[in-house]
Amino acid sequence: MRLFKVIRLATRDYRHEGQMSGFYILALAAVLGPMMVLFGLKFGIVGAMVDSLVEDPRNREIRPVGSGRYDAAWVEAVRARPEVGFLVPRTRSIAASMDLNDSSVGRILRVELVPSAKGDPLLPARLPTPAGYQRIVLSASAAKRLGVQAGDTVDGSVARRFRGERERVHLPLTIAAVAPAAAFGREGAFVAVPLLEALEDYRDGRAVPELGWDGSAGEPRTYPSFRLYARSIHDVAGLKLGFEKQGIEVRTQAADIELVQRMDRNLSSIYWAIAVIGLVGFALSLSASLWANVDRKRKELSVLRLVGFRTGDIMWFPMVQALYTGVLGWGLASTIYLGAAEAINQLMATQLAAGQTVARLLPEHYAVALGLTLVSALAAAGLAGWRAARIAPSDGLREL
Amino acid sequence: MSELQVAAPRHDGAPIYQLRDVIKTRQSDGIGFQLRVPQLQIGLGEKIALIGESGCGKSTLLDMLAFILEPSQAARFQFHPGGGREGLNIADHWRHARRNRLGDLRSQHIGYVMQTGGLLPYLSVRQNMNLSRFVQGLPDDDTVTDLAKELGLSRHLDLKPAALSTGERQRVAIGRALAHKPSIVIADEPTASLDPFAAEKIMSLFIGLVEELNITVIVASHAWRHIKRLGLRRLAHQTRRTSDGKLTETVVTG
Repeated sequence: MRLFKVIRLATRDYRHEGQMSGFYILALAAVLGPMMVLFGLKFGIVGAMVDSLVEDPRNREIRPVGSGRYDAAWVEAVRARPEVGFLVPRTRSIAASMDLNDSSVGRILRVELVPSAKGDPLLPARLPTPAGYQRIVLSASAAKRLGVQAGDTVDGSVARRFRGERERVHLPLTIAAVAPAAAFGREGAFVAVPLLEALEDYRDGRAVPELGWDGSAGEPRTYPSFRLYARSIHDVAGLKLGFEKQGIEVRTQAADIELVQRMDRNLSSIYWAIAVIGLVGFALSLSASLWANVDRKRKELSVLRLVGFRTGDIMWFPMVQALYTGVLGWGLASTIYLGAAEAINQLMATQLAAGQTVARLLPEHYAVALGLTLVSALAAAGLAGWRAARIAPSDGLREL
Repeated sequence: MSELQVAAPRHDGAPIYQLRDVIKTRQSDGIGFQLRVPQLQIGLGEKIALIGESGCGKSTLLDMLAFILEPSQAARFQFHPGGGREGLNIADHWRHARRNRLGDLRSQHIGYVMQTGGLLPYLSVRQNMNLSRFVQGLPDDDTVTDLAKELGLSRHLDLKPAALSTGERQRVAIGRALAHKPSIVIADEPTASLDPFAAEKIMSLFIGLVEELNITVIVASHAWRHIKRLGLRRLAHQTRRTSDGKLTETVVTG
């Protein structure tokens, strides 16, 4: 009840001193606004640049050298490790190809087959993934040569020499999607592992009952190689070490990774230093101005004490006003930031890819700015208010 | 110290204040100041005047009586807001730093008129006068309106203090000190900042209102002439400087 009364009085005072309150809001926004622009730039340019390097699949790839013998259990075990972002086994590369034939054009194209699955780092997440024996994703150049697009059906076929006879089987394949040119430069297709296994079995003269292909009985399968991507570049070195302990020689982009990591670390520490200095300075300047404000109002606070308001109530008086200043100042700073960010992004628009921005803040950054503002504002005002409430009202009343 | 004996309580009613050996010591610029109250008893319904030059310790005594200044020492400091035998031990409240308890007592029983208004600039005249009622959550009845009429402030109720003359502001301050119907009103030179004519007029208005509401009053003033005929009991006090010149001591008793 008393708190409610103090809020009403503090609000009246804040409105009555509109001009003064405006200055406090302006002073807060003048410090916070530019800081938000700085952080927007850091997050926008540098953040995105470093992120793209960190996320670049080429830097995360771990390629085995030569061929080995990896069984399904080994693949499962490695895939389960937290540092591993993506892992599919490869079949023998000599068997990983197929002839594609678009019936309407009548052109036959031999494509390399790349084992793939859901979450393939080379394929954009928004594209459908290859699945089963029928759904494949074509590389851009293969799609161009065949003159097909997503949704079309092509005829896939492989040939073998079995018991002295030349044989060929056909399989209708659906183009689930066409991969971007950057994903795979040659003529190829991303296909699910079961299709690759079936093709390998067929070529080796083994039966594939699922597709009705004739042949001898199967034997336990091993894979000569695999496609592996670490979850981030920071996991690459650890994984490499693990493989080398198992006697598997692998190749990674260690030099590039080192460069990116160093850049990321350096930029991060520079920005953290700026951030800490900036935030401490901001908190201090805000605290100082609110403290001075309470000192200015000491006589009025003493009057409230005189008529019987308690220490706790009187602390709330400057705190309520600090809350107003904090929220309104933060709002103004956000407006300043949004205006500046819009201008910067417009200015740079010609040099950016679509959807890219130079200055960018996430909702949580606004929340952090507000939280920091309110915490330092309330702490400073509360402390100053407590001090004001503690001095004997007799002294406070006779100051002026 | 001839005056000390003269000032015997004129009122036979129950005491509202009982003080014995209350001392307040202050230090400023190397010169000590001490207010000593060997014995003071104020009866319920009494009208007390504390007359003397500024700097003699009037405000110090009033602030202690209003519980807004802590005494340095107090053998006995009893407050009986209803006039009963068993009073509240104010010295004890101070000793235990019960500031909020003292604040509650103030808001319920004491009205205080400062030398210079002490009005809140962001509240209207009506809200300023209602402040002491607002704190306690007293109902919004006609009290403030009636008081404003008596004080000649009816036309100004919705103005802010900045729009008023000094005399009008003092009248608002008097209204604020009376609006919650306290047991006692303490006024520290309420008319010091006014011209003699206005001062006399406002002082008689004030004392008249206090009598009408049957409230105990203690008023400090440097001009006895103005209030002599208002029928107040004058509280005796004596100021002297110690032989080494380092301590000014005022002794109040009554």
